[in-house]
Amino acid sequence: MAQAIRDPSQLSLAEASRAIAAGALSPVALTEAYLKRIAALDGELHSYLLTLPDTALAAAREAETELKSGRSRGPLHGIPIGLKDIYKTKGIRTTAGSRVYETHMPSEDAASWVRLRDAGAILLGKQETHEFAIGGPDFTLPFPPARNPWNTAHYPAGSSSGSAAAVSAHLCAAAMGSDTGGSIRGPAAYCGIVGLKPTYGRISRCGVFPLSYTLDHCGTLTRTVEDCALMMQALAGYDPNDPASADVPVPDYRAALTPRLDRLRIGVIRHFHERDAVAGFGPANAPSATYVAAFDAACHALETLGATLVDLNLSPLVDFADTNRVIMVSEAYALHEHDFRTRPHIFGRHMFARIGLGAFLSAADYVEAIRQRREICVEVAAALAGVDLLVSANATGPAPRIDAVGTYSTFDRASYTAPYNLTGLPALSVPIGFENGLPLAFQIAGRPFDEAGVLRAGHAFEQATEFHRQRPAISASLPSRR
Amino acid sequence: MADPVSPEDFARLLADAGLDPSHDPERFEELRQGTRFLARLKQTVRRPRDRAAEPAHIFVHPRG
Repeated sequence: MAQAIRDPSQLSLAEASRAIAAGALSPVALTEAYLKRIAALDGELHSYLLTLPDTALAAAREAETELKSGRSRGPLHGIPIGLKDIYKTKGIRTTAGSRVYETHMPSEDAASWVRLRDAGAILLGKQETHEFAIGGPDFTLPFPPARNPWNTAHYPAGSSSGSAAAVSAHLCAAAMGSDTGGSIRGPAAYCGIVGLKPTYGRISRCGVFPLSYTLDHCGTLTRTVEDCALMMQALAGYDPNDPASADVPVPDYRAALTPRLDRLRIGVIRHFHERDAVAGFGPANAPSATYVAAFDAACHALETLGATLVDLNLSPLVDFADTNRVIMVSEAYALHEHDFRTRPHIFGRHMFARIGLGAFLSAADYVEAIRQRREICVEVAAALAGVDLLVSANATGPAPRIDAVGTYSTFDRASYTAPYNLTGLPALSVPIGFENGLPLAFQIAGRPFDEAGVLRAGHAFEQATEFHRQRPAISASLPSRR
Repeated sequence: MADPVSPEDFARLLADAGLDPSHDPERFEELRQGTRFLARLKQTVRRPRDRAAEPAHIFVHPRG
């Protein structure tokens, strides 16, 4: 610990929290450490659109004063975080990654940011996002796309690109992202960190720019599952200002974490990557041999921890992915139709091309998609009646080069994350290995509002493996060494 | 993979949607290229189903 505290940015959120509680680490020192790293490394990573050094340090000093006087707000007190720049922050520019809001100063804070701030978290800055959480990586916008800390020539995935890159590179302790088709779990996979898309309705979306009302989820990006549990404790809960918010009791997430998974039944959906990806989306979607081996090894690790694994067969992946796409594109186009008609040039290239397809989907297409959504939800609920959790692939190969990501890549590729947006189930991305020096991941999903069960399995897996302890080379590039 | 719609059909689609390609012809041509995905998307969601098959609902009565 003594060595780690010489560079507190290298601690996990939970480690930093324990050090602060023990009086061994000051929130000011922790905030300064992150700000120094941002100044040294973010010129290459572009993970922040805006940093807030003065207000962050002021908040850190206030936290330190409160803590010294014995007024602790809990585990997040004095912890520096970042927000994807679709979370509104009162009086702080919030762009949604778009020219439409390039100078936008909200008059309100996102409800989730209010919860984190009330829990003592410190805002380091606003993080790069694909335009309106869909259009990226786009070099035609005034905001440079974030890079993957494991190899800056590669894509960090999106749309929560900056948040994932910043967490992975230790430029904040944790971050908030959003996930409509995989925008938290995709970046978590490519950046080698933990990403949670909670149950639909679990975290308030109030004050977060929408992409698709019925698919949007707010969630967390962290370096460990325990860190995720600590963030969730502050974030979860009913918000009457979010029409989709669910009034469901919130358990103690950290208390749910256990080292063993005895008596747990896990359904493994292998056919998504073993059969459906190529059948539905073409041969370019074949998983890499390294990925298949990593996935199998991860499943074996869950068995070693005491879980019983059974193979499940659901509808083909293309049914989940394309139903999600029809709903997303239809809802997003409706949201932006006026700008598409009157000033289409204001959008970046990718946002325009992807959401523009919504102009050609009919009302009947949309209704058929939400009818199919219900059928799929019923099917998955029946499958979950026989198991406690689900496991399925995430991206089935390493991150591509950022210059190889095309305008329609999101339609060409099999989406392994969309099934859990469509069904609204909680889903966690956890690292399971590496290929060519770039991270790989799988997903653990659960029943509605069973984030605790999902986190329990993710934590046990994480503790039994070493993947989360590996760090990108850029994370070791401490400012003092440069 | 299907082909994109023809330029003539695309012009009709744009007119129906109230979109003006003269704003940025290059972008609209890229959008035309994306129409190759529409057939698959529509085919995936348009399946024979019982007339009573309801959509997924998220309707909630607002609290007063």
